[in-house]
Formats: sequence, structure tokens, C-alpha cells
Amino acid sequence: MNNLHDLFLGKPLGDSFMELLLFSSFALHLLFVLLMLGTAMIAVFFFIHSWLTGYSFELRWDKRVLRVHLALKSLAVVLGVAPLLIIQVLWSIPLLSAAAILAPYWLGLTGLMIFAFLSLDTLGHKMDVHPLRHMIFGVLGLAALLAIPAVFSAVLTLVENPDKWATVSAKGLGAEPGLVFHWLMRYLHILGAAALFGGAFHYFFSTKGAEDRHYHLSNWMVAATLFQVVIGVLLLVSVLGRLTPQVIGAVTVGVAAAMLLLGLAFYQNSEAKHARIGVTLMLLPIILVSMLLARQFLQHQAVAPVQAALADRASQLNSKLSPFKETSFNQFRSHLATVYDNGETIYANSCAFCHGIEGNGDGSEAAGLIIPPEKLNAVRADRQYAYQLILKGVPGSGMPYFSVFDRGKLESLLDYLEQQFHLTARSQPSDHPKDEAAAQQAFARICAKCHGDRGQVSGFGRNLQPAPPDLSRYGLTPEYAFAVITGGYNGTVMQPFNELPEAARWGLVSLIASFRTTQ
Amino acid sequence: MLFPVFYIPGLGQGMAIALVAVTHVVLSHGFAIGAVSLIVLLEHMAVLRNDHELEGLAQHMLKPAVVIITAVGAVTGAGIWFTVSVLAPAGIGSLLRVFFWPWFIEWIAFTLEVLILLPYYFLWDRMRPANQGWHVALGWSYVAVALVSAFLISGILGFMLTPDGWVQNQQLVSAFFNPTFWPQLALRFFGGLALGALFCLAFLLFSRQASQSLRQRVVRLCGGWLLIAGGLCALATWIYFQRVPQTYFTHSLFAVLTSHLAQKPWLLWLGNLVAVLLIAAAGATALMRRRLAAKLLIIPALVMAIGLVAEFERTREFIRGPYLMPGYMYANQINLSQNLYLRKSGFLANAAWYQAQPSHLWPRDPAGHALFASNCGVCHTIGGLNDIRDRLRGRTQTSVNLLINNTSRMVPFMPPFSGTEAEARTLGAYLYALIGQKRSLEAVPPAVWSEAGHE
Repeated sequence: MNNLHDLFLGKPLGDSFMELLLFSSFALHLLFVLLMLGTAMIAVFFFIHSWLTGYSFELRWDKRVLRVHLALKSLAVVLGVAPLLIIQVLWSIPLLSAAAILAPYWLGLTGLMIFAFLSLDTLGHKMDVHPLRHMIFGVLGLAALLAIPAVFSAVLTLVENPDKWATVSAKGLGAEPGLVFHWLMRYLHILGAAALFGGAFHYFFSTKGAEDRHYHLSNWMVAATLFQVVIGVLLLVSVLGRLTPQVIGAVTVGVAAAMLLLGLAFYQNSEAKHARIGVTLMLLPIILVSMLLARQFLQHQAVAPVQAALADRASQLNSKLSPFKETSFNQFRSHLATVYDNGETIYANSCAFCHGIEGNGDGSEAAGLIIPPEKLNAVRADRQYAYQLILKGVPGSGMPYFSVFDRGKLESLLDYLEQQFHLTARSQPSDHPKDEAAAQQAFARICAKCHGDRGQVSGFGRNLQPAPPDLSRYGLTPEYAFAVITGGYNGTVMQPFNELPEAARWGLVSLIASFRTTQ
Repeated sequence: MLFPVFYIPGLGQGMAIALVAVTHVVLSHGFAIGAVSLIVLLEHMAVLRNDHELEGLAQHMLKPAVVIITAVGAVTGAGIWFTVSVLAPAGIGSLLRVFFWPWFIEWIAFTLEVLILLPYYFLWDRMRPANQGWHVALGWSYVAVALVSAFLISGILGFMLTPDGWVQNQQLVSAFFNPTFWPQLALRFFGGLALGALFCLAFLLFSRQASQSLRQRVVRLCGGWLLIAGGLCALATWIYFQRVPQTYFTHSLFAVLTSHLAQKPWLLWLGNLVAVLLIAAAGATALMRRRLAAKLLIIPALVMAIGLVAEFERTREFIRGPYLMPGYMYANQINLSQNLYLRKSGFLANAAWYQAQPSHLWPRDPAGHALFASNCGVCHTIGGLNDIRDRLRGRTQTSVNLLINNTSRMVPFMPPFSGTEAEARTLGAYLYALIGQKRSLEAVPPAVWSEAGHE
């Protein structure tokens, strides 16, 4: 007996350890994301700058900057796998719900990434394209690249605001202006951080021996830090109601470090240059970690209760499921043992619930149909016609089409029907007294309207739903044919003809049998 | 039931996942495993023979490979995850819990791959000639780590078709080393090598890099490599399908041909034969230095090879039929035991998201649409691929109700309906009304969460 439990209730590690793992892997991922975004911003910005100022293309610095993009982006992507894995297990319900609410954007991520990476990496490798083309691909690639954190920050914003899920899924983000404001600030804060970190990275790694580049990048970093201060204040305002001592503490450390960094930038003393570099390199990780910690505290506080409540709900549901586990397991076993590759199995499973295991048209579900299923053991049809009926179904009746089975399976089903119900045999003549003249007259006057002169379905008949069968290819045993003529076929245009004399009805039975032209 | 259902109009969820997945498989196998192995081999040969021209060619071939691997290959890998987490949240959430540690190790392997590939690519010039041996070693270690990641993912993918003992014991080891694990690993590895040879051939045959005679030599090598790897891949595929339970295997013909072509089964054999012959011919002409013939054959052969990849992945995903995780979860992300419970207690009463939705968004029939999206939407669309209206066209109302209750019996790869008898009738009425609508009439309102995205 299996003891399958709801997998959603299990976790590979304790929650606090998972959170630690999430925090550290995300910090690593974010670092490279910021460097990648910053690199692309700087490369495109300074390309346009050098183009507008008539800078020599041979000496273009943005080539060197953009070349690093390939490496940074590869690391950013691959390092993102761990946080994605961990958050989907730790906060699975909030994350997967928020992603589904913003599904069109979330699904667009793949396309955005491919476009952005291909554009920027190609430019990083092929630098001698025409400046206009470079400009177009650079700007479009950068725009796609910058759209990626917009989606992620929107999803995370939603993750942290479970009380807004219903409204957002019904009316869109726009229905929650507070949420949009928070998301926008959060997004801009990421862009600002990217500008700052990217600037610092290139200040140290790709400006060797070029004082003017140092100068440009210093300005760039100061601007980025000032931008961060403004956006940071607005971001804090957007979460004002949620600030806890932990969050305030983490933010304070981050802000202090950022102020120090800003102070250093204005402290222009070339002799202390090395010390300045060292302090900057220390301050940046402090800023990143403390700000990220503040975010993690906020996230935990918003999400943990939701996850717990939903997990509780799942666990209650799970206890209700236990009575069904054995049955479901047995069903699975029997499904594994049932191979739909032979007529007998296919008939027993796909046909018998209507047509009955004996082919009497009395399967377990037959009573629910307005038009009763055919009594297969009374059918005498040519094989090709029967194949077409099974393949295409009978429109207007309950008989569906079975093109879900390949040719081999349908042939095997026909073999089974042949053996079991003599479906393709010729119907034997009956020895009941019959009035053939009356039958011919009745057929021409009444039946031919739908069945055609020789049973081959009239134009009128073909438009019926369901249409009558082609009697030149499809027949019934005499007894059953007599029963249908006498009692009609329920739910179809075939009405009871019990007012015809019995001998005339038997005459019709043999007349119809004579229409069969095929084996 | 825990998550909102995102219903993709036109394409359906399965097809959306398949598109991303096949792209990823072609690139990750073909470039990350296949092409890079060949390039490292070429470099190794160049170092052994002190052949600078060959080395230059290998280096030249690496550039597009690295761009494609990092910009498209890796991203589509993450893309499968993005797609699946929206389209099958309960499925991926469950799988992640079974395979958390393999996936975590997989992450380490991915990171190592990048950490090796980047210096291999960027430091090629700088390591020459003093540290060339180390550079080659770097290349081979990349190939080794790429194999490790193929090893890990094969366990997870194999589990989704043949979980075997896991259904009873829930042991990670049984789940991972399932019956199709080894053949699948072999077929992915050799398939990757063969694809890589095809990509390299296409590149070399149309490239003007290096001298003609050198290119000829490398083309010859790729041709031989293609024939051997392709042959081994075919062998592994054969063994793989031997290990697939008959219940599933019997649907493989339909998986490929679908209801449009399943009455002409010979098409499958013909198609595969043509594909294999074309690929083999491309390999043979390359081996025999028939440059013009190889040039003519290589693009069709590449297209056919990508077709075979799609065919294999489609078959593997399709034949497990009603299940997403056999023995645990149906394709529509409803657990096997949940299904029985929901028949008694009702689907809508237990669907977290349905209750949260304001009903004015599905003016016609919110309950019917929710039941359709959750029960059927994974495979069927309204007005797109596998259109439910085509599937039910011509049926009477009573028979639609009856079919809903008998899906899994009638069609062995359909999951059973999850919901009460009354809900089955609600869905039946909704679907019956749909059949009556003309295609050109306004589309059925999309699920509320997809509307959210458009505003």
C-alpha cells in the first residue's frame, strides 16, 4: 500500500535554513544582475555619448565595456537558478500565484532575455557595424534588458501583497495605485543600484590608464547614488506601514554606507586614491547586503503567514484525501495493466459503457442517452463502412468519433467486433410470412424519403442529424430490423411504423436486406 | 486547485511548454554538449600535432557556440521553468520537492559550466602557448560538467514517465534511477554529439575560415563523428522504448501522427526513415569528402534532426497520457486521490481561486469556464489547437455529459473529470453551448488572470 502524501506539504530543509539559502544565493545573483544591467547602461550611454561628440570609433571605450556583458549575463542567468528553485519551494504558493496572475509578462521573460542578450552580445563581438545599426540594437537590447527586472520586481511586489491578489487578477495592477507606486520605486531602485554597481565595476576594471574615463564614471556614480537616495526615500514611504526595527536597522546601515560612499566621491585627494578604492570596494557589498536584508525581512513578514495558512489548508485537504489513497493507487495499477493495443481491451473500455459488454446496447451509461446506443450484436455491416462509422462517429447522436486510435487499433477493434458479434456477416433471411408488394409500396411512399430509393440515403436524409445509415452497406439482423421498424429509433426521425400490417413490416425487412450490395 | 489557471488561447498549455522545451533541448544538447565537445577535440588534436591553423579554426568555431549557449541555450532552460511555473504550478511545485537536491546540485553544475566556459573562451589567447595543456583540460572539464547536468536532468525526466518504485516507497533513489534513466542519458548524450556534429558541419561547409584542405579534414572528422554518435543514439533510443511500459508505448504512434494522420501509420515509419537516411547521407558524404553533396544535404539533415528531437520529446511527454507524474498526479495537475475526493465534495468548492474571482468577468458561465480551464485546458483550447468544439461537434447534450464522465475510460490518455455529477452537467451545458457557436463569433472570455495581464 502506498503512503503518498501531498508533496506540497514537504520541505527539504527547515524554513530558516531555506531562507538563509535563498538570501545568499539571491544576493549573489543580484550582484551579477546589477553588474550586467549597469554594464549595458554604461555601454549604450557612452556609445551615444561618443557618437554625438565625434569620438573616434577606433578608440571607443564602450566596446571594451560591452565585451564583459557576455560573461556577466551568463553568470547572472545561471546564478538565478538557485533562488528560483529555493523560492519555489519555500514560498511556493505566493510565488507561483503571483507569477500566474502576471502570467503574460512572466511568460514574456524568455523572449525578452533572448532578444536582449543576443543584441548586446552580438554588438559586443561585432563592433564595426554601422553606428546607426549599433544604436538601434543597443537601445532596443537595453530596453529589453531593463524590462526584465521590471517583470521580476512586479511579481515580487505581488508576492508580498497577498491581500491584493484578487483585485489585481481581476482588474490588473492599475487598480491598486499604492502597489504600482511601490513597484515603480522598487524597480527604479534596482536600476539605480545597477548604475552604481556597474559604474564602480567599470571604474576599476575597464578604465585602466584613462583619466577622462575615471572622470566620466565618477560623475556617473555620484549621479547614480543621488538618484538612489531620492528613490530610496520614496521606496521607504511606500512601505511605511510595515517597517519593523529589523528593517529600520538594516536600512540605516545601508544608508550610512551610501552616505560614506557619496562623501568619498567628493573627497578629491589624489594621494589617498588607493585607500579610497579600498573603502569603496568594502562599502558596496555592505550596501547591497543591508538593503537586501531589509527586503528579505519585509518579504518574510508579508509572505510567511500566507504560506502557512495555505499550507494549513492543503494539510486539511490532505487528511480528507487519505480515505481515497488506496483506491486511487489501485486505479493507477489497473491503468498500467490495461494496454489499449487490442480490440478486446478497447471494446471493454472505450465502447462497452454505452454498447454493453455483450453488444446489446445496454451499457452502464446507455440510460443517460436520448438516442440509445446501437445494439452491436444485431448489426450486419460491411467492414469499411463500420470502420468509417467508428472513425468519424455519427453526428447528431451520442456516437463520438474515434480518431484517437490509430489505424492498427481500429482494425483490431473491428476484428474483435467481427469475432464477437459477427458484425460483418450477411444477415440471414427470416421465414416469417411477408407481404412484399405492400412492403415495396410502403418503402417507396414512406421510407425512401430519407433512406433513398435503394437504401442509399436521400439528399433529404443526409441532412438529418443523425442521418440514417446507408442500407446498401449497413444492415441489421431480421429480428432487430423488425423491432426498429415497429418501434422506431428513439430520439431520431425514425418513427414507429406499428400501424403497418405485420407481414408488410417483415416484407420491409427482407426488402432492406436485398439493398446490401457489399460484403 | 491551489493556483489560478492561466489559459493560453490558441496554443494550449502543453504546446507552449513544448515550443520552449524543444528549442532548449536542441541548443543545450547540440551546442553545449555536442559542438563544444567537438571543438575541444579539435583543439586537443591541434595541440598534439602543433597545428596552429586547426587551433585557430577551433577557436573561431567556439565564438558563435558560446553566444548561442549563453544567450539562448541557458535562457530557454530557464524559460522552460518560467513557462512551467505558470502553466503547471502544482506539477512543478511537486516535482521540485521530490528532486530538490538533484536540482540544487544541477544548479552547481550549471554554475560550474559557466565558470569553466567563460575562461575557456576569454582566455584562449592568453593561455597560448605556455598553458595550452591546461586550456585543453579546461575544455574537457567543461564537457564533463555538461555531462553531469545531463545526468541529473535525465533522472528527473525519466521519473516523469517511469517513476517505478517511487510510487510505493517515495525514495529519491528509486525515483532518480528509474527504468528509463540510463538509456535516456545515453540517448541524450549521443544525440547531443550527433547534433553538435551537424551544427559544426553546417558551419564548416558554408564557412570560408581556414584553408580549404583543413576544412575538408575537419568536415571528414565531423562526418565520421556524426555516423558513430547517430548510430549509438539510435541504439539508445531503441533500448529506451523497450523500457517504456506497453500501456504508454502503445500511444507513441498517435503521439506523433495525431488524429490528423493516425489512420496512415506508415507515414511515421516513412518520415523517420527519410530523416535517418538524410542524416546518415549527410554524414557519409562528409566522410567521403563529397563537398557539394554534403552542402546540399546538410540543411535538410539538420532540419530532420531537429524534427527527430521534437518527435522524441513529444512522444515522451504525450504517452504518459493522463498523468503528469504517473501514480501521483494527472496531467491537469489534480492528484489521483484528490480526483476521487473532488468527485464527492465538488471542484469549485475546493478551488481556491474560483471563489476569489468576481463572477462578472465570465459573464456567460463562470462555473463552466472554470471547470473547463482546470480540467481540460492543459490540452484543449477554445478556437485553437485541439479545439474542444471540434472534439465535441455533432454530439447531443446527453452524450456530452456522458463523455465528460467517461473521458479516462474512453480515451486512455485523458484524465478523468474532477468534480461532482452536478459539476459535470454544468461543464456539459457550457461545452454544449460552445459547440453551437460559430468560430467567427466572439471568443469565449479568457480566464480572469489572463485579462489581468492585458490591462
